[in-house]
Amino acid sequence: MAREKIYQEEEFPTPLLQLWHNFRQNPIIMIGFGSFLFLILLAIFAPVLTPYSSVENHLDKLLLPPAWHKDGDVSFLLGTDNLGRDVLSRLMHGASLTFGLSIIVVLVSTIIGVVIGSLSALTTGIKSSFLNHFLDVILSIPSLLLAIVIVAILGPGLENTLWAIIMVLIPQFVHVTRNAVTEEFEKDYVLASRLDGANSLRILSYSIFPNIIEKIISQATLAQSAAILDIAALGFLGLGAPIPLPEWGSMLASSIDLFYIAPWTVYLPGLAILFSVIATNLVGEGMRHALKVRKES
Amino acid sequence: MLIFTIRRLNLLLFTLLLLTLLSFSLSYLFPGDPLVNMTGQAQATPEHLATLSSQYNFEQNIFKQYWAYLSHIANGDLGLSMASHLPISSEIMTLLPATIELSLVALAIAMMIGVPIGFIAAIKHKKAADNIILAFAMLGYSIPVFWLGLLAILVFSIQLGWLPSAGQISLLFEIEPVTGIQFIDILLSDSEYKWQAFKDASSHIILPACVVALAPATIFIRLARTAMMEVLETSYIRAANAKGLTFGQIIYRHAIRNALIKVIRHVGLQFANLVTIAMVTEVIFSWPGIGRWLIESIYQRDYTAIQGGLLALSSFIFFVHIVTDFVYAALNPLAREPHHGS
Repeated sequence: MAREKIYQEEEFPTPLLQLWHNFRQNPIIMIGFGSFLFLILLAIFAPVLTPYSSVENHLDKLLLPPAWHKDGDVSFLLGTDNLGRDVLSRLMHGASLTFGLSIIVVLVSTIIGVVIGSLSALTTGIKSSFLNHFLDVILSIPSLLLAIVIVAILGPGLENTLWAIIMVLIPQFVHVTRNAVTEEFEKDYVLASRLDGANSLRILSYSIFPNIIEKIISQATLAQSAAILDIAALGFLGLGAPIPLPEWGSMLASSIDLFYIAPWTVYLPGLAILFSVIATNLVGEGMRHALKVRKES
Repeated sequence: MLIFTIRRLNLLLFTLLLLTLLSFSLSYLFPGDPLVNMTGQAQATPEHLATLSSQYNFEQNIFKQYWAYLSHIANGDLGLSMASHLPISSEIMTLLPATIELSLVALAIAMMIGVPIGFIAAIKHKKAADNIILAFAMLGYSIPVFWLGLLAILVFSIQLGWLPSAGQISLLFEIEPVTGIQFIDILLSDSEYKWQAFKDASSHIILPACVVALAPATIFIRLARTAMMEVLETSYIRAANAKGLTFGQIIYRHAIRNALIKVIRHVGLQFANLVTIAMVTEVIFSWPGIGRWLIESIYQRDYTAIQGGLLALSSFIFFVHIVTDFVYAALNPLAREPHHGS
């Protein structure tokens, strides 16, 4: 039963809800958001949805072109590669590797980075000055270079790549959280709750985090597009996922030799990377735009 | 300006110290014996190792070891490559210029294309042109560089046959390396085929440089667009408008200069990004630079090379960072003074 509104209550949406209201104004960004959700679903349900396994060989159907080509076969919608593996299935499995793992990587580094960042925002003096300089140095080293060095220490492999990328992304989150928290700490409402007797940790979790969460999310989308590109780049360079895994970057690397005779084995993984990065960037762009609109209003 | 210089040099020193500390600790972090990792003497006899260990103060505490490492670096000794047994410093001296050449050409292309387009987008703000440019920029920085490089080779080298796909110059030309930077060497050489060599080298650099330049160019578009939009909202632009200057005059005389300064400020940070992209591109285009060498060293587990290469490459990036800071300060008097109250 619908309830009548009796009182003229003024509703104040939470910062996150306000953000969502501004976010959904732009149709292109909603398309990006839809693609993003689609990729998440694909990453979770890929093993159920795919027609073939990612390593299943069809030796009578080697290098079959996509179905719209005149030699194509509709049961292999996007063709097969040089070992007769279905490209569509591999791409779908790859979504859970390249895209799904990038989400996990970003989540882990967000949590670690936010904890370190907010703790460091509470420190002052020489400790914080040293941390600032140290962060500047780390942030000035290119992320891929740092990841390569960490992979060199840990040894190649998918898991080590993920650790490397997590470690590379943490300083960015520390930096963003630190700046946001210090900025927020100077505002009057924080002073108000401090006068109420709240300690720093309580202020952090009850007053500050709800107000800076969108900054962290927007940084997370930036970090995620970097993470996808870095996972794929390391896979391409042969330092990440080993060959049989259908990670998009290493799929690309293993089919370079076929570029001229079977161009779809190179086009399609690249397009998949491009699509997921664009979807992530659109979401991030929409988030930043919505933040700007909310600040101005 | 003096205080500014001292602060920057201080930062440079601090950073270099941290970088050497990082590369020193790498020899402990890498698998294997730290002394072997640091010197690269993989097949040394026990007596030789004993001499090395006393040279690098390996019997003493860690601070003495670090100090010995620092003094070795100061003498230009980065150890031997485990794979090729050549001194790392001489390898870096031949490889780093190729990377510098590629990344500087790419930076020039990125700025020459990106900045004007960004200005146009800001002037046409909220019109069709702005949206198209923004969409293009989004595409540009989402594209994976290794894929773009492969597509560029397929289209321009294989299908159209316009440009060569690999290497720095055709092997037919023999150029005496003097500075290491190919173009300067060609101009310095007294070969009678100088101009053919110059043409050949330029046709080799176009494709990789454009591939490297695409993503930074789109970032420059966005930076230039934001900078121009900020400038166009300032009061001195309104004053110029009130004086009766035409729109073109305002843009050329007032807006472009002030917006350019803001863009130059970010060049240092973008350069680090550009060098990363250049590393991957070098692998695809077989460019004889330090990025390809570093990645090959990982395949060969050549830890001494990784250590030295990391140190050289990141010091170079930071050096460029400081140089752009100086250029920015020289162009913008506001940046020289310390910010009060911040």
